[in-house]
Amino acid sequence: MKRIGIFVCHCGINIAETVDVKRVAEEAMKMDGVAYVQDYIYMCSEPGQTLVREKIVEEKLDAVIIAACSPNLHESTFRAAAEEAGLNPWQCEIANIREQCSWIHSNREKATRKAIKIVGTLVEKTRLNESLKPISVSITKKALVIGGGIAGIQASLDIADSGYKVILVEKESSIGGHMAQLSETFPTLDCSQCILTPKMVAAGKHPNIELMVYSEIEEVSGYVGNFIVKIRRKAPFVDWSTCTGCGLCMEKCPAKVPSIFDRELTTHGAIFVPFPQAVPNKPVIIKDYCIYFKTGKCRLCEKVCEIGAINFEQEDQFVEEEVGAIITATGFETLPVADLAEYGAGDVPDVIDGLAFERLLSASGPTVGEVKRPSDGRIPKEIVFVQCAGSRDPERYRPYCSKICCMYTTKHALLYKHRVHEGQPYIFYIDIRTGGKGYEEFYHNAEEEEGIIYLRGKVAKIFRDGDKTVVWGTDTLTGRNIEIAADLVVLATAVTPKDSTAELVKKLRIQTGPNGFLSEAHPKLRPVECINSGFYIAGAAQGPKDIPETVAQASAAACKVISLFSRDHLEQDPAIAWVDEDLCSGCRVCISVCPYDAREYDEEKEIVIVNEALCEGCGSCVAACVCGATQQRNLTDSQIKSMVTASLGGK
Amino acid sequence: MAKVAYYPGCALNERSSHLDRSARDATVKLGFELDELDTWTCCGAVPPVSKERVMNLIAPSRILKDVRDSGRNVLITICDFCYNTLKRTNYSIISDEIIRKRVNAFLADDTPERDYLEKDDSIWEDYTGEVRVIHLMEYLRDELGYDKITENLKRPLKGLKIAPYYGCVMLRPQNEIQLDDPENPSIIEDFITALDAQSVKYPFRTECCGSYLSISSPDASTRLCYRILTSARNNGADAIVVSCPLCFYNLDSRQKAITEAYSDFKPVPIFYFTQLLSLALGVEYGRQGFEKHYVDVTPVLDKIGISTGKGGEE
Repeated sequence: MKRIGIFVCHCGINIAETVDVKRVAEEAMKMDGVAYVQDYIYMCSEPGQTLVREKIVEEKLDAVIIAACSPNLHESTFRAAAEEAGLNPWQCEIANIREQCSWIHSNREKATRKAIKIVGTLVEKTRLNESLKPISVSITKKALVIGGGIAGIQASLDIADSGYKVILVEKESSIGGHMAQLSETFPTLDCSQCILTPKMVAAGKHPNIELMVYSEIEEVSGYVGNFIVKIRRKAPFVDWSTCTGCGLCMEKCPAKVPSIFDRELTTHGAIFVPFPQAVPNKPVIIKDYCIYFKTGKCRLCEKVCEIGAINFEQEDQFVEEEVGAIITATGFETLPVADLAEYGAGDVPDVIDGLAFERLLSASGPTVGEVKRPSDGRIPKEIVFVQCAGSRDPERYRPYCSKICCMYTTKHALLYKHRVHEGQPYIFYIDIRTGGKGYEEFYHNAEEEEGIIYLRGKVAKIFRDGDKTVVWGTDTLTGRNIEIAADLVVLATAVTPKDSTAELVKKLRIQTGPNGFLSEAHPKLRPVECINSGFYIAGAAQGPKDIPETVAQASAAACKVISLFSRDHLEQDPAIAWVDEDLCSGCRVCISVCPYDAREYDEEKEIVIVNEALCEGCGSCVAACVCGATQQRNLTDSQIKSMVTASLGGK
Repeated sequence: MAKVAYYPGCALNERSSHLDRSARDATVKLGFELDELDTWTCCGAVPPVSKERVMNLIAPSRILKDVRDSGRNVLITICDFCYNTLKRTNYSIISDEIIRKRVNAFLADDTPERDYLEKDDSIWEDYTGEVRVIHLMEYLRDELGYDKITENLKRPLKGLKIAPYYGCVMLRPQNEIQLDDPENPSIIEDFITALDAQSVKYPFRTECCGSYLSISSPDASTRLCYRILTSARNNGADAIVVSCPLCFYNLDSRQKAITEAYSDFKPVPIFYFTQLLSLALGVEYGRQGFEKHYVDVTPVLDKIGISTGKGGEE
């Protein structure tokens, strides 16, 4: 029989105040198989660990149980100590008598009895524990980054700089994302393009980064360290290897396509680059708008292209790549103005959203930075900014705060004031939220010095009256209804996940929360990882975020990937499911319950096997298995049965 | 001719009898008959607003149960208040089990010939919301189809510019009524277009007319109606179309007070949607009850050649 040693921790008074540790030790000594028991004030301290190590050797112990705090805290500490003394780490168990006993009870007698039972159950488990070896998994040291906005660019650069290869996949024909659309950035008012384009160029040129723009993820299989990704490379109908980016084709194209980049304030041809600083600076043809594709006539671009780069015969290509880690940085979209019925439902020309106003402010925008309203190109004398347009409205729109709007609206009003000195900006707000370095000062300056009128209240209705855009709102501080006949209205529309995110997460098998944003593994302690190993998240795809926060998270995600790649192979916990091949009937109920897709049907053997690299040891399939063929290592049915018996006080 | 169960409500029985009559005339032209319930009571008019959860639902529930018991599952109503009350009552009965049980306990109790201990030959069946309450305009849009109206036009209203007015209770609360988007509706606009008239866009189509304030503080209602009417006229409307008798009362009769209070005011004729419909379908002018209107509608109808005794099939 195994010789089991038990070490009971006082945790100062954390355990000892409520649990009679001496009595726990006495009772433990009476249990079957227990060869040695010792209590100590701080078992996790260096003297405590030394005690464990010494006694394993001296008492020739085959297994140890540490009765202390949660295994989340110190299981790895004590397993390492046991291993140093020559034990297999899986012969070290933790009996949690703190979080699950002393901290939650006050009756000393009852708590002590419970602690004895907890120790008893662990003795039963430990007696049947096998010695296990960690599962070794190889790693492909190449990362996939999905999304080429600032988050994806930053993460790619960080990983590439540390020497690992990166594939950066972007749906549009250029990287840059929303940040490329912005004019100047809060709170320092530096030009967005000026700080972004060098990074775009760096990502485009980096020897370790393979840029795959105009591409989408088609399929993902495999597991941490060994993903196989199928990528669709959409046909640009331009041979990019010979195209010089001269732009002649774009000038000549007679089609009119609303520019998504310019928020439909301008149009471009059916062959286009989204903006002059695009990386790569190569055009694509949009089939739906191309006159040749629609009518079979035109091919003007082909005629003007001196090097013959236009190729109408191109088809989508599919490539397969092996990667070891995947960062999802797909960014955000904003609620369409058309969805806001009370704000004109998109039918009022001078009601625009924040991103459109960024384009109006941008030096490279449709008005070259002059603030001109869309309806008639006049310079607006009064602008009303409406915050929380669709945010913080659980009944009708989105329940959450979009976080960036307070700051960018203040910035908008400020930049407008700098360009149109006699203009009057009004800002309707619910609360002003300026959590961030230098943010409150920025807002304070705008309110005190710049003559921006802040009105606390919501806007009820916006409609067009002649050439004015009338705003009805309430100032809740004076309790009065307000009507402003404005020249332009800018809505700070709610930040939403991209429509394509929902489909992508299904392919990746990662999770989203109730509002459709990507879910992190832990909101505080694991903010850049997904629950599934090998997946990481960065940027506004996880929730509304400003640029500093996005960049910080992107670097953090990159750091996680680099730390994964710094190992030669991965060690997986072996305490996972395994299958008794003789018992398995091949019913496949386990496949339906597995949240990690770790169960696979083996056609040849007609049984369901466990993919050890994918299995997280959750035990769902073990519970579901009808014939008991699937068992959890070191938590087998017989172990659980004897643990339950012990916990009920039986033998 | 197909018959559809029809609940007129109090206003249509008396003050707004011209709404009732034009609706009956128009539907006959469209091939179905509004079949008034044999017996009906007041729907309660405003009960869903009240805090009391059950008592105010008894009367409308009784009406709905009678329709169900007569073997029909669709009930048309025209007055926006009746529509709101009946539809929301139905919603409560479907979605709230406690309300459903209590209401049915009352309904069972007040049936005089019913005696649980003694004899009872009919099988009692709880009313569980089987009847669909449909606004006449909703019926025209969804069941009949507006295109059917256009096909049957005898006198297209081409040349008329009509401003739709929605009022409050026709569309709200959205989750219970589900007729249209209350902030940006289109059901009346599309109706106007189906009559070959032009619908006028103006910002006040969903703003309040003052409703019952007309009685308690008429000045408030006067102010509100002035804004609605003026906005419609400034946007080019020849007339305004409504479906609610209270909206009609406020927007039409109140123009007397508005004219006294605002010197710049120019009167705007108000039509029930059924009047325009029945005129367009060829029902004679004289059956529309225009004599009940405060604001003279003849100048507008003259514009397209419809006036007393002239035009249409007589």
